[in-house]
Amino acid sequence: MEIASGPSTDSSAARTIPIDSSSILDEFKQQNLPACKPVLKPSYVITTFFLLGFIFLPIGLTTLCASRTVVEIVDRYDSECVPGAFRGNKVSFIKDSSLPKNCSRILKVRKHMKAPIYIYYQLDNYYQNHRRYVKSRSDQQLLHGLKSSNTGSCEPEESNNGLPVVPCGLIAWSLFNDTYTLIRGTKKLSINRKNIAWKSDRDRKFGKQVYPHNFQNGTLIGGGKLDPNIPLSDQEDLIVWMRTAAFPSFRKLYGRIEEDLKADDVIVVHLMNNYNTYSFGGKKKLVLSTSSWLGGRNDFLGVAYISVGGSSIILSIVFLLFHIKIPR
Amino acid sequence: MSGGWERLKGSRSRTTRDSSFHTPAPSRTVTLGRVQPQAPGHRTIYCNDREANLPVRFKGNSISTTKYNFLTFLPKGLFEQFRRVANCYFLLISILSMTPISPVNPVTNVVPLSLVLLVSLIKEAFEDWKRFQNDMVINNTLIDVLQNEKWVALPWKKLQVGDIIRSFCRGAFCHLLVIGPDFLTEFLMLLCHLIVSTFSNSNFAAICYHLSFIGKIEFGNVKKDGFFPADLLFLASTNADGTANLDGETNLKIRKALERTWDYLTPDKATEFKGEMQCEQPNNSLYTFTGNLIFQKQTLPLSPNQILLRGCSLRNTEYIVGAVIFTGHETKTTLAKGNESMGILNMGKVMMNSMNVPSKRSTLERKLDKLILALFATLFIMCLIGAIGSGIFINRKYYYLSLDKAVATEFNPGNRFAVAALTLFTLITLYSTIIPISLYVSIEMIKFIQSTQFINKDLHMYHAETNTPALARTSNLNEELGQVEYIFSDKTGTLTRNLMEFFKCSIGGEVYGSGVTETELGGAQRNGIKVQEVRKSSTAIHEKGFNFDDHRIMRGAWRNEPNFDACKEFFRCLAICHTVLPEGDESPEKITYQAASPDEAALVTAAKNFGFFFYRRTPTMIHVRESHVEKMGKIQDVAYEILNVLEFNSTRKRQSVVCRYPNGRLVLYCKGADTVIYERLAGGNDDLKKVTRAHLEQFGSAGLRTLCLAYRDLSPDTYESWNEKFIQAKSSLRDREKKLDEVAELVERDLILIGSTAIEDKLQEGVPACIETLFRAGIKVWVLTGDKMETAINIAYACNLINNDMKQFIISSETEAIREVEDRGDQVEIARFIKEEVKKELKKCLEEAQHYLRTVSGPKLSLVIDGKCLMYALDPTLRVMLLNLSLNCHSVVCCRVSPLQKAQVTSLVKKGARKITLSIGDGANDVSMIQAAHIGVGISGLEGMQAVMASDFAIAQFRFLTDLLLVHGRWSYLRICKVITYFFYKNLTFTLTQFWFTFQTGFSGQRFYDDWFQSLYNVIFTALPVIIVGLFDKDVSASLSKKYPELYKEGIRNVFFKWRVVITWAWSSVYQSLVFYHFVTISSAGGKNSSGKIFGLWDISTMAFTCVVITVNLRLLMMCNSITRWHYISVGGSILAWFLFIFVYSLLRENVFFVIFVLMSTIYFYLSALLVPVVALLGDFIYQGIQRCFFPYDYQIIQEIHRHEPDDNTRAGLLEVGSQLTPQEERSYALSQLPRELSKHTGFAFDSPGYESFFAAQLGVYAPQKAWDVARRASMKSKPKTPKRN
Repeated sequence: MEIASGPSTDSSAARTIPIDSSSILDEFKQQNLPACKPVLKPSYVITTFFLLGFIFLPIGLTTLCASRTVVEIVDRYDSECVPGAFRGNKVSFIKDSSLPKNCSRILKVRKHMKAPIYIYYQLDNYYQNHRRYVKSRSDQQLLHGLKSSNTGSCEPEESNNGLPVVPCGLIAWSLFNDTYTLIRGTKKLSINRKNIAWKSDRDRKFGKQVYPHNFQNGTLIGGGKLDPNIPLSDQEDLIVWMRTAAFPSFRKLYGRIEEDLKADDVIVVHLMNNYNTYSFGGKKKLVLSTSSWLGGRNDFLGVAYISVGGSSIILSIVFLLFHIKIPR
Repeated sequence: MSGGWERLKGSRSRTTRDSSFHTPAPSRTVTLGRVQPQAPGHRTIYCNDREANLPVRFKGNSISTTKYNFLTFLPKGLFEQFRRVANCYFLLISILSMTPISPVNPVTNVVPLSLVLLVSLIKEAFEDWKRFQNDMVINNTLIDVLQNEKWVALPWKKLQVGDIIRSFCRGAFCHLLVIGPDFLTEFLMLLCHLIVSTFSNSNFAAICYHLSFIGKIEFGNVKKDGFFPADLLFLASTNADGTANLDGETNLKIRKALERTWDYLTPDKATEFKGEMQCEQPNNSLYTFTGNLIFQKQTLPLSPNQILLRGCSLRNTEYIVGAVIFTGHETKTTLAKGNESMGILNMGKVMMNSMNVPSKRSTLERKLDKLILALFATLFIMCLIGAIGSGIFINRKYYYLSLDKAVATEFNPGNRFAVAALTLFTLITLYSTIIPISLYVSIEMIKFIQSTQFINKDLHMYHAETNTPALARTSNLNEELGQVEYIFSDKTGTLTRNLMEFFKCSIGGEVYGSGVTETELGGAQRNGIKVQEVRKSSTAIHEKGFNFDDHRIMRGAWRNEPNFDACKEFFRCLAICHTVLPEGDESPEKITYQAASPDEAALVTAAKNFGFFFYRRTPTMIHVRESHVEKMGKIQDVAYEILNVLEFNSTRKRQSVVCRYPNGRLVLYCKGADTVIYERLAGGNDDLKKVTRAHLEQFGSAGLRTLCLAYRDLSPDTYESWNEKFIQAKSSLRDREKKLDEVAELVERDLILIGSTAIEDKLQEGVPACIETLFRAGIKVWVLTGDKMETAINIAYACNLINNDMKQFIISSETEAIREVEDRGDQVEIARFIKEEVKKELKKCLEEAQHYLRTVSGPKLSLVIDGKCLMYALDPTLRVMLLNLSLNCHSVVCCRVSPLQKAQVTSLVKKGARKITLSIGDGANDVSMIQAAHIGVGISGLEGMQAVMASDFAIAQFRFLTDLLLVHGRWSYLRICKVITYFFYKNLTFTLTQFWFTFQTGFSGQRFYDDWFQSLYNVIFTALPVIIVGLFDKDVSASLSKKYPELYKEGIRNVFFKWRVVITWAWSSVYQSLVFYHFVTISSAGGKNSSGKIFGLWDISTMAFTCVVITVNLRLLMMCNSITRWHYISVGGSILAWFLFIFVYSLLRENVFFVIFVLMSTIYFYLSALLVPVVALLGDFIYQGIQRCFFPYDYQIIQEIHRHEPDDNTRAGLLEVGSQLTPQEERSYALSQLPRELSKHTGFAFDSPGYESFFAAQLGVYAPQKAWDVARRASMKSKPKTPKRN
């Protein structure tokens, strides 16, 4: 054994570490980047909860107040508007186009309603978000009309009698077609049906030069018809309808009343009960609602804010008590 | 010539048996790998004749280790990628999403998949590029080839079979070195090599100089050891008696050229060499070679002794001349790659890349597979629920869906079963996001950066003395480092430096020497005592083997000591009683000592430094140059006649020399273990004995190896009568050893004690402290060594593996009973008997151990077992018992074990106890162990590379294990756990919102989110922050990690990736997804601005997605332990990326046209965007708050304790130390301040002639280190060198 041979020092000199102590890269390599170290101390937890409550409670109260100022009248009319003789077989009533579909409802205003008052129709158990339904439209065609042949997705309402349908697809085909007329006392309330759709939809998604074509001409009629002389961008009913709802229970804007309704006013609604929700047991409701800066009546946000804020403060107190009782 | 071939085959066995340098049949423990069957036939090589070799078309010498080339990269690389199940799954999903049943656009799945593939392929390409560069470096290394009677420097790749080459020991070729991972540099390097390969040698330096001037390339690191470019036939060397290639354990393998070829050294001579060589076909057997050299009409048989293997290096000679036999990929070392036997050879850096990095998967990753499986199961259940729902829901009554007769099968109410089945597939594509596609590639990237940038570049693991940084050879196992529970360590070279230094002595009852050992340092640090550094006095001498300082006896001062007579005897004993052989110049500065063990060399070196310079040995005489014998300045050469040498062996544990002074005085000098010497001391002088005994214990507790020195004056009569018996015994034919021992016994009595020596088996720096830290971290350290039991125990004491408070179980084969049976010689009987004994011992120990375990504060246990017993204990019937016993023990020492046993012990714990194991070693004998363990760590920086080659990580020093495990390992583990659980959480949360939506869509599989949202969710909106966490998250700083090793136990217990943790995250996911879905759903009902307009599906889904992205990113910040600005940038960037994306995207796509602008025009959006994430995170926040307040993790407590300490400063301070590490030798500390604990244990010196040499001998290597060989060699040396050439 050769004991005189020590470890060679220069044979591995090829591997050197470049040391540049000031550079970020070096701090990175030595894992020495400046960092703050958030330690979730009890005091931080308590403070965070307290602050959270402090911020959330006022927001919640404001939101809830805003929601509470909204006055809403909801009237379900789908079963009431079927004549007594047909109560047992609503589907045959609605499918028989020879029968008169008009119907009257009386609404009582409980609280003063400030203009503008929004008229919504609400459908329940209506799956506008079904996969087959959602995709059955052609955005290209809505914008460009017959010039666009990109209607493959409209299946099965793509064409009728060999001619393309504008607007094609199930969504348009099943357009809601109940109509409402409101009368207060003897005077008919004027309903403004303009500007009920989002502006971006009207301007950019529905063509100004696109007119309905070959629409609802088939053997099966799904829903409402369209005036072939009005371009799609002005058919706001259709535009509203085609912004498909996210959930099976949804409201859609029908129009606006631009005068105040006083408390204890009685309003007679003459409606045409055209739309078939009886097949699948859906409900139809008419909603009159005012609006606040936040929109329609929806207490959820307010309640959520208040409960989160409230429970935060309670939690902060609980943690504080624990912290005092069992200090670390 | 086939006749000659036949004859050779027949005579092969005989030649090997006859060869004195070659013991037959390499031991089984060495050739673990399978030897390839040889190709039939043989190859004929015409040396020095390129034309003649041309028709055979031998392969060239260039090697290629790249996996791909330009053409194969894409197909092969993609194939590699699709071997991963996750990628395959996503390919399937992508194909599925092209079909009409898919609810999503194919883009949803194709985009993430292609991005993931792209990143992976880029990584592959980068790595292959690296390999290619390495190949280029190797292929273009220069070597002198004989052409036109001149040595011409050619690159390796131009070498051909049959060429005559010259390989230098030093300065044979220039090696370029690159600083930093700079592409420009690498390009320049390549360019440089290309230039070099085309120009001749003379221009080389100029070019390189030029390039170095550019500042990118540092040139001129001339390699010390020249590596052989191909398998060579050794023809001649500058020193006529052979050359040597290097082996790792600092012992050299000797190769000897055939005498007939010795002359062909100079170019003109070598040109004349025209031989024809017939040899075996290329094969992977490293230790065999058969062939004939037909030369000058004579057939000379060739053996492995004449073969120099590619990648080996040259020592002890200026240069050699050889003929190329096998080239390139046909070399034995290349063929043997991947074969375990590879590890035996010393491969330099040159061959390093041709070895496949062992592919091991971490335990965590295997557990991750289970998690993925669980996710698949969840996916299937979700799809099944949805599918059944869809089958029930579908009905013609929903006339607006137009479900009449012509409808496609997937919606046909007439066949509900088909609807359900098809919906199942629909939903699988919809929910595919539940499997985190980018998880694997993210983890891979994180680990890659962790290993290449953090581990490899850590200054704390950079050894300045050998200029060796740590090296992670694989990036698969980073987090495994954080969970190690058992460490198996080699001793020599790993725990110790294999360097013996004379450290202290006790002469005539007085202790000399003022050093402080590592062990004492460690003990002092444990007790919190600050050790002061004292300056070395000017008398201190530190050379190899001698690290001693005491002004009382140095430089002749011992003459003024009261016990100067004893001193004289002491020094004489050191100078005379040994079997050391001096080499080199006969001056104190230049002489080197060759000894069987480094201990002996250290003792002789000590004598030299005390003024008794042993400088010459003849067969009968020892010449000592004694200075200051009687008075100052007098130097006198004294020749002592050596009459008898009574050898050292393991039973005698002592060594004696009978010598005659020039004045006729007859003295027997004896040195040996204290126990044997004390038995043989003459009566009287009890004080000295007692004091010396106390000193021995003191030395022992300091971890030093002690020897007692004694002498006896012999009268001529006594001697003569004894000598007769001695000669008789020596010449007896039967039981000679035994008889010699008996005769020695007669004279080795009535000894007079002189004193004792203390030799430090120099531990590697910081080993005891490191082991202490590892213990506290809950890691158990086992020492597996080839050394003798005493040495092993001694080192175990020195390293604090064993201490006196421990209960030791020793299972040894060196008992009387076993020896008795062995003497009878019946192998079957021996085996049966030892097995019984071992079984008995094991049972006894186990019972005792269990008894101790039951008692509350029982002592810690330790087990010492030797290789022979281990062999039987590893028997399947006893294995369970051994495992039970050893797992209960705090530390285990296995001595005299073979490499195979090392591997067996490792896999016993690995497989039997299912614990994570780490093996660390430096030598060839550790390779099997390194490969067997979960993690193999090699000690690098020394010459032997074989352990490093087989390892997963290479570090320069044992003590770097603390950093590797406690800092890097723990962080890696923590980070990877966080990354995995976070991936799991974010994908589950996202997919669950989708799932809740399914219930509201009549189970139709309508997607909630837009295609692109879904596809970019994983790869853009949530990808980067988690990688940042995987790189930067630190719970506590590096210094605290080492200060509180107990933190490591969290990794061992796998606290952060238990099913409980996963389930907690899963609950969090369910909670959050419910919050997202229902809060957004409920709050969105009704008019949403003051003009009463209503949101559609895409408005609401965009709202929900915004909430998800914000929450998921903020959740990441909540789980960070340290937040750098990169966290802010990445989290903020991800959220911002989403908004930028949707701003642009909503202008382009019809269905989500303008949604974000519509949304942002309402106050509702801002209220929800504040509320929903807060509520979603509140649950986690409360959980974290409660967990932290009432059930904190250990690291959290440490965090709070050290909350106010900035860790940057400590780190910066260490950085300076790191860059200028002071050598341990230069430190010395005040001994007086150290606590004293006396040890019952006194180690004794004398390393065995070396397990390593035994091992080497098995390989057929001549190891000239037998003690009894010394005299013979001395006589050879004394002869003047006669020129060998005739």
